[in-house]
Amino acid sequence: MEWDWNFVWQIMPTLLEGLKITILATVLGAAVAAAVGLVFAILRMTAPKPIAKVTGFIVEFIRGTPLLVQLYFIFYVLPDIGIRLPALLAGVIGLGLHYGTYAAEVYRAGIENVPRGQWEAAKATNLTGRQAWIHVILPQAIPPMIPALANYLIAMFKETPLLSAITVLELMNQAKSVANSSYRYIEPMTLVGIFFLIMSLISVVFLRWLEERYARVEER
Amino acid sequence: MSMRTFLTMAAGASALMAVVVATPAFADDGKLEELKAQGFARVAIANEPPFTAVAADGKVSGAAPDVAREVFKRLGVADIVASISEYGAMIPGLQAGRHDVITAGLFMKPERCAAVVYSEPILCDAEAFALKKGNPLKLQSYKDIADNPDAKIGAPGGGTEEKLALEAGVPRDRVIVVPDGQSGLKMLQDGRIDVYSLPVLSINDLVSKASDPNIEVVAPVVGAPVYCDGAAFRKGDEALRDAFDVELAKMKQSGDFAKIIEPYGFSAAAAMSTSREKLCAAQ
Repeated sequence: MEWDWNFVWQIMPTLLEGLKITILATVLGAAVAAAVGLVFAILRMTAPKPIAKVTGFIVEFIRGTPLLVQLYFIFYVLPDIGIRLPALLAGVIGLGLHYGTYAAEVYRAGIENVPRGQWEAAKATNLTGRQAWIHVILPQAIPPMIPALANYLIAMFKETPLLSAITVLELMNQAKSVANSSYRYIEPMTLVGIFFLIMSLISVVFLRWLEERYARVEER
Repeated sequence: MSMRTFLTMAAGASALMAVVVATPAFADDGKLEELKAQGFARVAIANEPPFTAVAADGKVSGAAPDVAREVFKRLGVADIVASISEYGAMIPGLQAGRHDVITAGLFMKPERCAAVVYSEPILCDAEAFALKKGNPLKLQSYKDIADNPDAKIGAPGGGTEEKLALEAGVPRDRVIVVPDGQSGLKMLQDGRIDVYSLPVLSINDLVSKASDPNIEVVAPVVGAPVYCDGAAFRKGDEALRDAFDVELAKMKQSGDFAKIIEPYGFSAAAAMSTSREKLCAAQ
């Protein structure tokens, strides 16, 4: 077993192709998760009781089942009832829904952590509900959420190889297909690890920066 | 993780690899003795009937493992223990020492012959397509798929069919890597792929089990050669391979070989009419 640089350069374009899909799936998945999570959180906190209960159940259900099972369900079972999604879309929906439920809990915790007195003070100073949310509640609720959300973003990024199970040609799947025809795993898998490490490190730096920026707003 | 810890770990890992590489290969005869003492040989299979099959109770059958089990028994190795693997992962797994031999219908092709040492031919089969009833896209060969920009083909990752499709000029994004037979059939029924390609006997087995009137079979695929598999051993295990070949040849002579594989639908005559040299040299 030895490391072959020529082989590395030869497979690099294929792997970069896969990396693009991985990043695309993460970005789209994160966007879906952020939106879905917000909807879940709001429904659970402000909707009439029956709806809030049902939402709570759905969130617990999705959180309590493995992502891989959900992906298989979306990709292989939904076509039976006439919903046939392209592989990447199915993957983005799976990631988005799954991580959306985690995000919902983060949103909920963040908002509920703002002391009740803040609501009362807002009301006392004659702010409307909208003003209270935008100027009082959210500015205090969001900064503590950021580290938790960032963790989920990185976790989601690292879970994208699961999409290879539903035939999305992302980084892991490309590496596997390279290994399949060359009978070599060492270079493709090492490169996959390195790509993920680099991307994770970059996101960590970016998210630290975000965190600090928002923390400063709070100090003002 | 800081860069320093990462580097330390990398250094540790490469040191470990160096040790692994430096371990001398087993002495030639030692391998068979080792298997005898151990009482079983580890084989890689794929769960693609009739080549390889795993029953609901976990019992391994299929033509390839059955032949291997018999040959190993005659060599004094009591049994085989099978692990299911993707086609593409078999040769790397063999090289990494995870299996002693591949008995999975892994067809002999020159690049595979360069990576492993094959026994003499065991199971021969042509390639086939499963597709929608009436063959709406009129697909008869891999070339037809390449020429039709709408046609998508599903094939096992690292399998012969995937390579045949790519070699015929089907672009990568129209060759869908399908994890297993059941998924392939489902994707065909759902219209995610237009063709699912496997060897003739595998497709027939799959389609007959599915009993879906909307699926039909095109076999053999025009222009695709007949391939034969063999038991694939690690480079360095030539002595074991040679011992295997001797017993296999005896079984072919006595007719025991035909008795094992013909109930599965394979032709013993086809395997006996060709040789490893011919198949490994074929392009």
